Amino acid sequence: MGFIRLVVLGFIAMTIVYFAVSIYSRSIRREKLEDAWDEDHPDGGDMAARDTYIEQGMVEYENGFRKKLIWLVYVVPPVIVATIWYVTNTQ
Amino acid sequence: MKKILLVLKVLPFLFVFGLLHYVLPQHDIAKITSTTEIEQNLSWANRLFYAQADSGNVASDKRYVRFINAERRKSWLFGFFPRDSYGVMVYRNEDTGWIWPPYFKFDTSDLQAEADAASSLTGEEQWVVITHYGWRNKFFSVYPNVVGIREVSGPDVTVIPWFNIFFFIFLAVAYFFIRAMWRQFRERSVDPLLEDAGEVWDKVDDHADAASEKARGIWGRFMAWLATWRKK
Repeated sequence: MGFIRLVVLGFIAMTIVYFAVSIYSRSIRREKLEDAWDEDHPDGGDMAARDTYIEQGMVEYENGFRKKLIWLVYVVPPVIVATIWYVTNTQ
Repeated sequence: MKKILLVLKVLPFLFVFGLLHYVLPQHDIAKITSTTEIEQNLSWANRLFYAQADSGNVASDKRYVRFINAERRKSWLFGFFPRDSYGVMVYRNEDTGWIWPPYFKFDTSDLQAEADAASSLTGEEQWVVITHYGWRNKFFSVYPNVVGIREVSGPDVTVIPWFNIFFFIFLAVAYFFIRAMWRQFRERSVDPLLEDAGEVWDKVDDHADAASEKARGIWGRFMAWLATWRKK
């Protein structure tokens, strides 16, 4: 029973962390794109072109490797649990 | 009032400190003198400091608990500075199971056998490092729980608390990460909203100023009132 509870609660917690990190990462990415555009166009540039540039960058991010790294949120805690379990019970 | 506020501010820190001090592993350099098994009748006062009933068993407040009696080297400041004096310590040996505290300990019987094997009674002195968590309280019959026993050559061994080092690094990283997340959230989501609200407020304010300027005499006041209804 305890194991099921751990799995369920852990899964809920990891899902919350996953979504929080996803939103944060996306926000950082967008801000970086905005800053990059502002650096290249000190006068502001064409607003429509700016939007396409940012959306293009966001699409690249959504398909990129960095976004897949967030799945580590689901990988690392079980590995830690398994490690603690192993170290505690086989000494 | 200020004192009450201060206490309210300090309390959460004390609580977190106590929780970490209870849950994180500590290492004692000790000699095991004997192991026993005693029936415990737990009450509300010390129930919290014992493990839950074994998986599949009825939750009863009456059960046998394994104990390890030891003579350990005393220390200052959470074991960082060993002293030259020795004192007795009684540890309990219970499964923690899957949930709390998260040691995932299931090898209680094996650990008890290990303690017997490493006991100093069987021959010459055998020093061990006892890894445990928890507190000893004589008034409530509360005992720290043993997590691991490792045989060492003598009482002068240095123990590096690797787990605690990694734990506090992780805690610091998590703190700064959450703070960065919160700042990003404020910068990108909350502040723009507040700015919008501020602009609306400024507009209302300008509106009122303009209206009061025009308000000279009854006619002026009436026109000013009318003006407040006009779109700018």
